[in-house]
Amino acid sequence: MSDATVSVPRKDWTTRLLLLPGVIWMALFLITPILMIVYVSFWTQTTFNISPDPTLDSWKQFFSSTTYVGSLWTTIRIWLIVLATTFIVGYPTALFVGLLVKSKTLATVLLVICVIPFWTSFLIRVLAWRPMLGKEGAINIILQKLGIIQQPIEVLLFTELSVIIGMTQIYCVFMVGPIAFMLARIDRNIIEAARDLGAGFGRIFWKIILPLSLPGVVVGAIFVSVMVLGEFATSGALSGRKVNLLGNIIVTQVGSLKWAMASVVGVILTVVMGIVIAGFLRIVDLKREL
Amino acid sequence: METAVFRLKGVTKRYGDLVALDNVALNVRENEYVSFLGPSGSGKTTLLRVIAGFETPDSGRVFFQGQDITHVPAHERAIGFVFQNFALFPHLTVIQNVGFGLTYGKQPLPAAEVDKRAREVIEMVGLTGMEDRGVDQISGGQRQRVALARTLAMQPKLVLLDEPLGALDANLRGRMRNELRAIRERLGVTFLHVTGSENEALAMGDRVVVLDRGRIIQTGAADDVYSAPASPDVAHFLNRFNLFDGKLTAGKFTGPFGTVPVLAARKSDRDVYAVRYDRMRVMPASTVAHGPALKAAFVASEYLGSSIMNFFETGDGHVVEMEHHLSLGAPDIYQPKQDYLLTWNPDQAIVFGREPR
Amino acid sequence: MESRVLKPILAVYVGAFLLFLYGPFVVLTIISFQQGPVGGPQFPIIEWSTYWYRHLFGLVPPSRIAPLPLGDALVRSMALAFMTMITSTVLGVMAAQAFRKRFKGANIVFYLIVLGMMVPGVLTGLGTSLLANNIIGIERHWYTTAFATHVVYTFPFAFLVMLAILNRFDASVEEAAWSLGVSPITTFRRVTFPLIFPGVLSAMLFAFTLSLDEFPRTLFASGSDQTLPLAIYGTFSVEIHPNIFAFGVLTTLFSFALLSVYGILMALSVRRARKMAMQEDIT
Repeated sequence: MSDATVSVPRKDWTTRLLLLPGVIWMALFLITPILMIVYVSFWTQTTFNISPDPTLDSWKQFFSSTTYVGSLWTTIRIWLIVLATTFIVGYPTALFVGLLVKSKTLATVLLVICVIPFWTSFLIRVLAWRPMLGKEGAINIILQKLGIIQQPIEVLLFTELSVIIGMTQIYCVFMVGPIAFMLARIDRNIIEAARDLGAGFGRIFWKIILPLSLPGVVVGAIFVSVMVLGEFATSGALSGRKVNLLGNIIVTQVGSLKWAMASVVGVILTVVMGIVIAGFLRIVDLKREL
Repeated sequence: METAVFRLKGVTKRYGDLVALDNVALNVRENEYVSFLGPSGSGKTTLLRVIAGFETPDSGRVFFQGQDITHVPAHERAIGFVFQNFALFPHLTVIQNVGFGLTYGKQPLPAAEVDKRAREVIEMVGLTGMEDRGVDQISGGQRQRVALARTLAMQPKLVLLDEPLGALDANLRGRMRNELRAIRERLGVTFLHVTGSENEALAMGDRVVVLDRGRIIQTGAADDVYSAPASPDVAHFLNRFNLFDGKLTAGKFTGPFGTVPVLAARKSDRDVYAVRYDRMRVMPASTVAHGPALKAAFVASEYLGSSIMNFFETGDGHVVEMEHHLSLGAPDIYQPKQDYLLTWNPDQAIVFGREPR
Repeated sequence: MESRVLKPILAVYVGAFLLFLYGPFVVLTIISFQQGPVGGPQFPIIEWSTYWYRHLFGLVPPSRIAPLPLGDALVRSMALAFMTMITSTVLGVMAAQAFRKRFKGANIVFYLIVLGMMVPGVLTGLGTSLLANNIIGIERHWYTTAFATHVVYTFPFAFLVMLAILNRFDASVEEAAWSLGVSPITTFRRVTFPLIFPGVLSAMLFAFTLSLDEFPRTLFASGSDQTLPLAIYGTFSVEIHPNIFAFGVLTTLFSFALLSVYGILMALSVRRARKMAMQEDIT
């Protein structure tokens, strides 16, 4: 029998058409701005003017100043501390919600309860720490009433500690969520089996629970890191100008129209973030978990 | 000369390393009921999906009514498809489901016309009165009929059914089988029906196509396939034959039942001797047999409706089945754990060998 | 076994944790009832009053404390959030739909989109304002530069939500529609979209919320237009008063109302999705 018309494969444009707007948007409004920052960091900056003539001046200025370099170390230090504190503060909660709570409804309710504070504007929540931590703040009043301390603790507000406390409170939920999610996925039978074999809780935790929750920890760490490294509002509101993060420097430089310096700091922040995220993604292959 | 409404030529489909379809060729005529039979993984569902246009073959061609439709997208093929899980539109009522293609398809009809035709098809499948019910308000069997009605409303020349009765209980299945056959005959449409149940394939199809590991290993009328399987695999899959390993040499087969003369053998990759369950005869253990003889102890029997299946076990643990059709008379009663002699007419055996004469 | 000991300990811990989470909100609610206009945003409460709530709406005689410049900012924030919500959800649905088939370069596109939520607002804000100021030479406004950056931020979230929804979507209803002769576009409109609508609603809510409270990007990219968070930030360096806390309480209640509406809408459209799950459950 002779073949009438032969059909040929058609080109499928749908995928390309669907992706084009999104990809263009990101290329224009995400990639280009970042490239812009790199570019401008090499521009010549005078007191009132800026011109695209390439120079390393702003870079030299950054690295020769102890204040600026100090802010880099401060940023890294605070990031590591907050990462640790959100992990320590959040993990037991995640353990409770993800592993020990049997009913799924209760677990969801608890998670929703953790999310409700986010319904208040971020900035107002930051501000709310001031009347909590101050000399006459809520914490001091309660501690004094309970007789635990005689004198109000001064170091709670307008110090690095207050920044850490504030950030921990605001970002710890981002640790609880992913970790609880991973813990809920652990097959209880494995833990039962380990117990039957005589393992105590300590060993079960170190050898089974912690490793299996690791992807969640990494996701939480990425969330927290991204937010803390880019922070400036919390440090601005709670440290009384004492704590200068890279974000703060960018804001002040832009405020005085020193675009080149702001860009230098921006590039440094980008590099730090890139290293951090790439490092985390090495530990856990995220695509597999999705 | 019969015109093929549908033809496959050299169709191959791979998923990574897995070859789902291996150089499949097939002709299907108008007004035919074809069953595709095969174990899971045999490629029968892939074959159906390639015909429907949900998958494109890596090589080969698909022809429909003389046209090459290999790369024509599914929605332009006018080939109906009934899904195993029915795939009804959950947000629409029964009549909206049935009229969906008429409303939104290539040649949309005015609402009044859609309504009229939909009601006609709904009546044909016996669902009158259910038109305005939601999909979650009807039973499994009724959903099955909505899925069928929805497809038939488009008056396709070819309907593909992917294990349509798999989700129904045995009682419903029996009734639906008859209804499907009746509807098909009335409309004169070609049905391609995929199933993993050999009973269903043999009951439904004018023609049975047996698939295994991506290849068609036998096609023929149901009776022919049933009485003359083309290979030990088909025989095994049909679940109708006792299979014995052994050795085939010039005109003789040596197996656990002794050495028996063989009239004819089919070529195969191994030596296998097959006897249909209902060709087995049970004798008292003391009988002296002049042909094949197999000593086995009776284990249990199972009532299958129109026949009784008796299970025997030989000394080395091989299970042999003997089927007694009740239309032939009252069944014999056997004593559990007692030895019997199983025998049969060697002319009725089917033999496969590496070196057939 | 050991959970008998561990569970109560952790339960107590979680109680303390929740106290930690809610502490500031409780404190700011209390202080919002501070006496005004002389009461400051700290303890002790001189006298309980609703002064600051009335102050918000301009219902009190003028004092030396200026009312918060919130009116315009609020409107702008809502409009911006609305535009962002629509745009990023549309982009998110389109992109997620594209990812249902395998294609070359899928990994790159995926990370390009997800990058938008990984880069902190300081950087995208800075870059966007540099671009606007020094290259393109346009002015920064909430409906241009800020809008663009907001979508960069919320699009990945909408995308991931839709990706998760579409991953669990049973495509056989779409194939059924094709087999009936319905084109893919019409199928999407009449079959797919109605069934994924709860997910779309979630993505929209997510995007709206993220944009409403967005601060760092807006700070750089909004130019002289103030959104709500910017107006609040403006009061940081200046003296703060309990009126800002009253505002916080009100906005929290508003968010609560918004989420309740969302919850009701979800419950209504989830019923439809449940009908779909019923098809697997043959009676």
